[in-house]
Amino acid sequence: MNQGPADRPDRLQEALSQLPRGIEPGRDLWPGIAARLEPRSEPARVRAVPRWAWAAAAATVLVVASSIVTATLMRREAAMTARTAPTAQSAPEVVQAVAGSATAAFGPGHRVGPAYLANRRVLARELEVRLARLPPEGREQLAKNIAELRRASAEINAALELHPGDPLLEELLFNIYQDEISVLANVDRLTAADTKTAPTRIPL
Amino acid sequence: MKTRLLTDRAGSGTHRLLAVALAAVAPAALAGTPINQRAAADPAGQVEISNISGSVAVTGWDRNEVEVRGELGDGTEKLEFSRTGQLTRVKVIMPKRSSHVEGTDLIVKVPAGSSIAVNTVSADLNVRDVRGAQRLQSVSGDIQTGVASEDLECKTVSGNVRVTGSGQRSLTTVMTVSGDAALERVAGEVNGNTVSGDLTVSMGETSRSRLRSTSGDLVVNGRLADDARLDFESMSGDVRVALAEPVSAEFDVSSFNGEISNCFGPKPVRTDEYAPGTELRFRQGAGGARVRIKTFNGDVQLCNK
Repeated sequence: MNQGPADRPDRLQEALSQLPRGIEPGRDLWPGIAARLEPRSEPARVRAVPRWAWAAAAATVLVVASSIVTATLMRREAAMTARTAPTAQSAPEVVQAVAGSATAAFGPGHRVGPAYLANRRVLARELEVRLARLPPEGREQLAKNIAELRRASAEINAALELHPGDPLLEELLFNIYQDEISVLANVDRLTAADTKTAPTRIPL
Repeated sequence: MKTRLLTDRAGSGTHRLLAVALAAVAPAALAGTPINQRAAADPAGQVEISNISGSVAVTGWDRNEVEVRGELGDGTEKLEFSRTGQLTRVKVIMPKRSSHVEGTDLIVKVPAGSSIAVNTVSADLNVRDVRGAQRLQSVSGDIQTGVASEDLECKTVSGNVRVTGSGQRSLTTVMTVSGDAALERVAGEVNGNTVSGDLTVSMGETSRSRLRSTSGDLVVNGRLADDARLDFESMSGDVRVALAEPVSAEFDVSSFNGEISNCFGPKPVRTDEYAPGTELRFRQGAGGARVRIKTFNGDVQLCNK
């Protein structure tokens, strides 16, 4: 005998309530899922690489550029030293390395203020006359150490690209820029016939 | 500050009017011309010495006069030796144009209480027994001096600096570009700055110190005053600090890429799960003093001794 339509919902409900609420898989499925998820995470890493690569590339370019300038200057210095006593002609070349036209960054998207760059240029111009009074090894040491300061600031800038806002990096970078001005000002004083005041602390 | 002190005392109109040129000697181009000059001087006056190359030796003595001996280098124009009020000036004058000038060796004796300011380019500089303030500068010459309780300021580009203190409190400031600096038995306030030179400092009781380096190492042995403030910073150079017991200080040490080791016990921790920096903050004893060390790539070693 067939059941009437009115009986079906109750029986269906009853049958449904007998069903288990969950079914445990016969095997551990996670390794398979993880294996399929793994390749999806790769593109995320790949996406991170360009940012790092850009920062590293920028730092490398800065380091290589300053190294080339330093090496060129040192070769010229050595050639001049071998040829004759030091002359004033080499001073502008050192000034070019010391002052440079390089911009000074302060982490991603920030540039050091124009007052700093202007003061650096002024100090470099004053140095040009006085550098001629330095012995060749003094000029060489100065160029090497300015390159050292530039390399340090490039390294910290590259790190700031990866970790913007890091207070330690910002403090170190701030101080390295001040050190560069301080070195230029001190050399300016040391080579001056008379002691004039040159700025040693410049607002960034 | 020291410059102003010299200028103020020497700059009065009366003294300028009374200025006496004691000597302007030694015609040019005399090879190895002997120097032997002497003049009365204020026992606590100022002495300025300038010599491009050769050597300068300054010694404090108990007489109220300045004596200059030595040898004027071949090709030098003359030696200026003058007194203006409390200021005595010793200056080797170079010719305007010269292809070859020999270095001049100066041996200068000054009243022990004098303040001195010495400028050289490549001449080495040696100072002994001067109790007044000292301002010593050389581009590539080495500087060696002793310091008592007055201020000392040494600046060089590539020259090395050696300072021997007396353990008395004073203000000592050393700046080099590539030269190394070694300071012994200095106390009070000690400041140093270098690019690639190493700074080695042995401090007596120190209340203030600020040492900075770009690639040179900072090595410090010292005893902290109760309220001392030490601030050391390096980019790629290592920082090694050894402090005499008992140590009562708060330490704040951070390095971005360098390793931090600590003999006092507490271990450094990562500043960020995803960044390479580490930091170490702890208090030793009552913590009256403050020691702050920051590096970029340089390692930090903190120890008691």
